[in-house]
Amino acid sequence: MIQNVIKKALLLTLAICVALIIAHPAYAEDKPIVIGGSLPLTGKFAETAKWIEKGMKFWADEVNAKGGILGRKVEFIIYDDESDAKKAVTFAEKAITVDKVDLLFGGYPGTAARAVMPVAEKHKYVYVSMGGHMKSFQQGYTYSFGGPPLMGEWWYEGFFQYMKAMPADQRPKRAAVYTMNNPIGASASSTLAGWLQKLGIEMVINEKYNLPLPDATPLIVKSKQMNTDILFSNGFFADGVMTLRAAKALDYRPKVIVQAIGSVIPAWVKELGKDGDYIFSGTALHNKLNYPGNDKLNAYIKKKFGLPGYPVYFGFGYAWMQTLSQGVEGAKSLDQTKIRDWLKSNTVNNIAGPMSFDEKGLPAPINFCTQIINGQVELIWPKEVRTAEPVYPRPAWK
Amino acid sequence: MGSVYALLGIGFSLSWGVMKVINISHAAFGLIAAFLAYTLLQAWGLDPILSIAVSVPLLFFAACFIYRFLITPITQAKEVIVSSMILTFGIAIILENLMLLIWSPDPRVLTTSYTSKVIIVGPFYFQYPRLAGFLMASMGVGIIQFFLKLTYTGKAVRAAWQQPDAAQLYGVNLKRISMITFGLAVASAGAGGVCMAYLYSFEPHTHSLWLIYLFLVVIVGGVGNVLGAASAGLIIGVITGLSLAFLPYQWVNLLTFGLLMIILILRPQGLFQSEV
Repeated sequence: MIQNVIKKALLLTLAICVALIIAHPAYAEDKPIVIGGSLPLTGKFAETAKWIEKGMKFWADEVNAKGGILGRKVEFIIYDDESDAKKAVTFAEKAITVDKVDLLFGGYPGTAARAVMPVAEKHKYVYVSMGGHMKSFQQGYTYSFGGPPLMGEWWYEGFFQYMKAMPADQRPKRAAVYTMNNPIGASASSTLAGWLQKLGIEMVINEKYNLPLPDATPLIVKSKQMNTDILFSNGFFADGVMTLRAAKALDYRPKVIVQAIGSVIPAWVKELGKDGDYIFSGTALHNKLNYPGNDKLNAYIKKKFGLPGYPVYFGFGYAWMQTLSQGVEGAKSLDQTKIRDWLKSNTVNNIAGPMSFDEKGLPAPINFCTQIINGQVELIWPKEVRTAEPVYPRPAWK
Repeated sequence: MGSVYALLGIGFSLSWGVMKVINISHAAFGLIAAFLAYTLLQAWGLDPILSIAVSVPLLFFAACFIYRFLITPITQAKEVIVSSMILTFGIAIILENLMLLIWSPDPRVLTTSYTSKVIIVGPFYFQYPRLAGFLMASMGVGIIQFFLKLTYTGKAVRAAWQQPDAAQLYGVNLKRISMITFGLAVASAGAGGVCMAYLYSFEPHTHSLWLIYLFLVVIVGGVGNVLGAASAGLIIGVITGLSLAFLPYQWVNLLTFGLLMIILILRPQGLFQSEV
């Protein structure tokens, strides 16, 4: 009888001890904050996604070295969606419902981010990513943020501002516009007609092509025959390279070549060398911007990868995590709605600059005009951030 | 462009026609040759054309090894075509990851001293890389045709495909012939891959894009038909070129794949008679 009572008392004591240990705040604090989602680590978007992953992991190492967020270390669950937006959705669902991650990280490319945004909204998870261009931010989602976004609609703003500042008689007169037939191309080219009209540049060619582009020679032949002196190549790397090579082979010499997405990855300069020079483009962030953190990132990239500055997608991965973590620290909680509300009502400072988000989750339009000069992506516009004098008109091919 | 598709597609057509093996990893082997050409060009300045002398034998022996230890067991399967597709899909995935590991996911471009040179004949422009691709592809098609029609082993390959039992009665070693055919098919992919790399940038995932053109060439040209594949490649190239010249660019793929649909409806066996 006494033995039974002692036995029950011991069991009760043990159960109370276990319950106290689990309930103690220190127990929860020891657990890392898990941040989940997917990136296209294989497939056609792998090259850029690997840089995003590196940026995110550099951020995590840095944060963990300082003790983590809210006193807890951070760790990632990164799935490979194989460059398939449908799989990105599946992995977002899995991260939220199966892994029960504390935070969701932003995806890439725009097609995947656009597809994941409704998932984040459904589960009420804050989702900081590049977004899927303007339309994705016009769907009424309240938990999605472009911090910073990669907006096709803003891509050429900086370039056109630079053109606008130029005396009218020095501007190009006739434009050839070739655009890949997909949402990114459509977004990038959506503002072209209005801007060209405003600047008095006649758009004599405006054609779309489906990917993969089999041959760029006919595009350049037509541009040459129509005496165009500004070429917009609204495409990715593969079609951008083909267009540029055909332009050189046929000695097509416009005053300006503007290239959309393909020229922003390091491979453009590495693979094309001198031929890749003098291309104008845009960006939402840049390693030479005078915002806190950029010098540190550049030093790391130089030491680790031997590059002069961080690639733009490394910066995106890092900046999205900066935005998310500032939201968590500002809200002092992992409660998604509190994080969202803090982000909507405060200013975030990341490597792309200070950002306040509107009701769509977007900051004020940001865009910088860039030009590749001597193998370096230089900032051209706004003038106050200029890192090199623009080369205009474009010199003859070497 | 068309001749390059043809060179890449001939081997695919051969292994499909002769051994009933649909080699999904065919383009991935071609891509390995493209990466080898890139590496040899970067490291020693070796012209990509010369790199074929390295990649083709290498791929031939690698393919013989794969055939001996991986393909042979599945040739006993009830559904060789389906089994081979599953197996070679796995090989393609392994090869892609191998390329990612060795060369990283960065896109690459073959840049030689003649990359930007062009010959202008009247209203026609011929870029050197495209001419080089055309000449190499024509030579490749010629060599394979010569091998199949005029050499003893080539005749044995044809016999093995047309009358396997009779060929065995005449002393043809089916296993050995099949292994050589598979080796040759993959080796030709190597030459085709280098030609493709002259025209387009490439990265480890590019083989899945090339695979679409392989199916196109084989379906239009007829399975197992070398000259059919060559003609199909040329037809596709000419249609694409003419479409680019005279139609809005966004119609080009629509037209090319529309043609494929029409051919499938009218001549499911392909445009040309199916024989090696």
